[in-house]
Amino acid sequence: MAIRDCAKQSKAFAALYDAYANRDKAALAWKEQGGKVVAELGTDVPDEIIIAAGMLPIRVASDPCKELNYANIYLEQAYEPSIFTTFEKIVDGTYDAFCDHLAVSHTSDFELRMWLYLREIRRSERQLRVPPVEWIDWLWVRRRMYQEENEKVVARFKDAVEKWTGRLITDEELEAAFEVCNDQHAALREVQALRRADKPRVTGTEALVIIGAGFFMDRAEHAKLVRQVAQDAQDWPELDGPRVFMTGTPQDSTDLYEAIEATGCVVVGEDHDWGDRYFSADCSTDIDPMLAVVNRYMLAPARTNRTLVADRVAALDADAAATKADGVVFYMHDRDVSASWDYPEQRKSLEAKGVKTAAFFRMQWPVSKNEDLPEKLAAFAEELKGERA
Amino acid sequence: MAETQNKAPEAGKSKSKAVKRLKATAAASAYQKQWFQDLKHRVETENLPFAYINADVPIEILRAMDIPFVVNQWWSAICSAKRMSKKYFGLLREAGYRDDLCTYCATPLAESLDPDDHAVDEEGKPLGPWGGLPKPTVAITRLCCDCQNKIFELFSKNWGAKLYVIDVTQTRKTPDKWWDLAPYYWEDLLDSDRLDEFVHDFQELIRFLEEETGHMFDKQKFIEVMHLINQQEEWYRKTRDLIAVSRPAPVTVVDTINAVMQAQWQRGTQWAVDHAKSLYEEVKALADAHDYAVPNEKYRLMWIGRGLWHDFEFYQTFEKKYGAAFVWSMYLAMGADTYIRYHVEEDPLRCLAARELPMQDVLHMPPWNAQWFVKEAKTNGIDGVVYMVPDSCMQNIEGSYFIAKALEEAGIPVLRFVADPVDPRKLSRDNMMAMVEEFIETKVIPNSDK
Repeated sequence: MAIRDCAKQSKAFAALYDAYANRDKAALAWKEQGGKVVAELGTDVPDEIIIAAGMLPIRVASDPCKELNYANIYLEQAYEPSIFTTFEKIVDGTYDAFCDHLAVSHTSDFELRMWLYLREIRRSERQLRVPPVEWIDWLWVRRRMYQEENEKVVARFKDAVEKWTGRLITDEELEAAFEVCNDQHAALREVQALRRADKPRVTGTEALVIIGAGFFMDRAEHAKLVRQVAQDAQDWPELDGPRVFMTGTPQDSTDLYEAIEATGCVVVGEDHDWGDRYFSADCSTDIDPMLAVVNRYMLAPARTNRTLVADRVAALDADAAATKADGVVFYMHDRDVSASWDYPEQRKSLEAKGVKTAAFFRMQWPVSKNEDLPEKLAAFAEELKGERA
Repeated sequence: MAETQNKAPEAGKSKSKAVKRLKATAAASAYQKQWFQDLKHRVETENLPFAYINADVPIEILRAMDIPFVVNQWWSAICSAKRMSKKYFGLLREAGYRDDLCTYCATPLAESLDPDDHAVDEEGKPLGPWGGLPKPTVAITRLCCDCQNKIFELFSKNWGAKLYVIDVTQTRKTPDKWWDLAPYYWEDLLDSDRLDEFVHDFQELIRFLEEETGHMFDKQKFIEVMHLINQQEEWYRKTRDLIAVSRPAPVTVVDTINAVMQAQWQRGTQWAVDHAKSLYEEVKALADAHDYAVPNEKYRLMWIGRGLWHDFEFYQTFEKKYGAAFVWSMYLAMGADTYIRYHVEEDPLRCLAARELPMQDVLHMPPWNAQWFVKEAKTNGIDGVVYMVPDSCMQNIEGSYFIAKALEEAGIPVLRFVADPVDPRKLSRDNMMAMVEEFIETKVIPNSDK
């Protein structure tokens, strides 16, 4: 199924696909026009502040074709495999070529350790072309005390961005950036509604492209294209396969979804930040801007890292219900381990509600390295089809 | 970096054959067992509140509140030493968990799944380690990695204990020679706002403990505890410095790891101070008597990484053949450099924050860790470093490249290999021995002969 002809024929979708496939293109154009670009490592860098400063935020992404000249030297084997290529692209100068700064958020242990390593490289191995690094040190335990501390964390990041641009960011600029991002989220929710409909009109693969393109281009432009796709997709054929929800390691390519959807299933949702979770929360425009940013990131639905099992169980139950999922695929890359501690309780809870599950641990990256995956996914799809029949 | 191959340990092997020479080591082992039995008895018969805590939770607060506690990593090491790992990993597997993750932290979680933890066999011998863990009232951890809070949450749920998680930001400063600043000038060493935050954290923790246990925080006792810890660690500093200048060394890590680690979990007590003093006096007596651990000591080795709790004999394997003695591990040296904080009375909780905040940085954050290892290697006359890098634990992924590079730039060869300190399935002793032997022959000996 993957990306269907109907989607390819949509000019808006084609533009989004271009941004998703050619991830540096918009940033290079932005840079050529004299703009500043900030690379984001981790999925909790507050876009809103970067946008308010008139800069373009883009996400650092993996690249399975990247030769590992540096990462194999610096990183231990405990790192999740796609991280190696991400790190490589930062250290080999790929991002330094068109990014003015690198912002790293404490999204998981991987980002934390990479920040420490990059800071040390910047300190002691200056011959390497790593952009200036700023750390966003989120606290994730949900307590008012930490929410207050996070307001200081965000304020510190705002200070750093102001130093980058040499001017203060006004509340009006912040509010305008909130509106841009919130509007982008709203546009994405229009597509989400089509994806979650009883008869979905958007595949999971298409959705990943639609959502993911936004990480590499101007957010307002992205929102316009997404809205156009949402309109175009009203006429796309309905999908009738078993409905699958995906949880586990964030997927910054469509490979896994293509493999799942090749079995006739439809991926109707996911809880990672390259998919639906990205637009699960907005910045409120009627509270203090720093608190608004904190709430948008800190209070978003529980994801795999740095959260409690009970919260993860509740979040996945809610997602499975909201997407009317027939089955949930747990898919974790080798060395991405934290979700493994959630899995038994999550499975128990889902199966008690009649939702089937399939678990894939220690998965090689990229997806194509897992030779028996198509067969196992096909077996799960057959199980789901049997249930539906 | 080399990687060891999985191989099961020798079945039925129940006791280490490592030769320990210090009375202090035996005394600590005996004391900890008796201490645990007393604690267990009191908790189970007097219905006392009991805290189960991660190693980076401030035990000073619990001691000042007279709340008995057990530290996760210590108990994990006891379980491993009791050869419970195989059974426990099986229990994790049966419950649907992976059995190859977070072994150092998750072993007690596995124990909480064991229906026989408090049972006895036909002869009346306990099936759980030392009769099993008493039921905790509270479980406390720091959010020091992506998994730790989940493991503690599951543990708490199984035991019916109340969970408390402390979150913490990262050190932004990268000072030179942190160990010179830490005892007296910690306010300069650390980010001031982080000290403020951690004090706030401790106040919240105290409030939680008071509500859950009914025990009140005793400030005067807390100050006494802080002083007792300084005294204990001062003895470790003297011991560390003595071993550093003694050629050959009077003791090796086989003694010091056990003697120090067991007593560290008792820190803040008079027993721990007395034990640390006795350790120093015993080592001093050996040094004065020229009674050396490895009389043919030619090469001094440094061990970086967690202790091989199930195989201390490994450390002595290279003594006879090469005269290579493991004289340094972080356990004694950490006591010497990372705990001591003066100016207690000025602001006791802030002083505690200054002790606890950099604990992770010292070991796991470059350049804090790399600089310290180089300093220690130089002052201890180290000829080679054997560095066990964990295979999966991100909490302990600490920039091994930067550490090795700093040591090698200081002229000290380094062997890095990947293994798991608790899970013997991941550790091929033969491979490890072969690697270390090759390292000694090809790097240490030629480098020392230069």
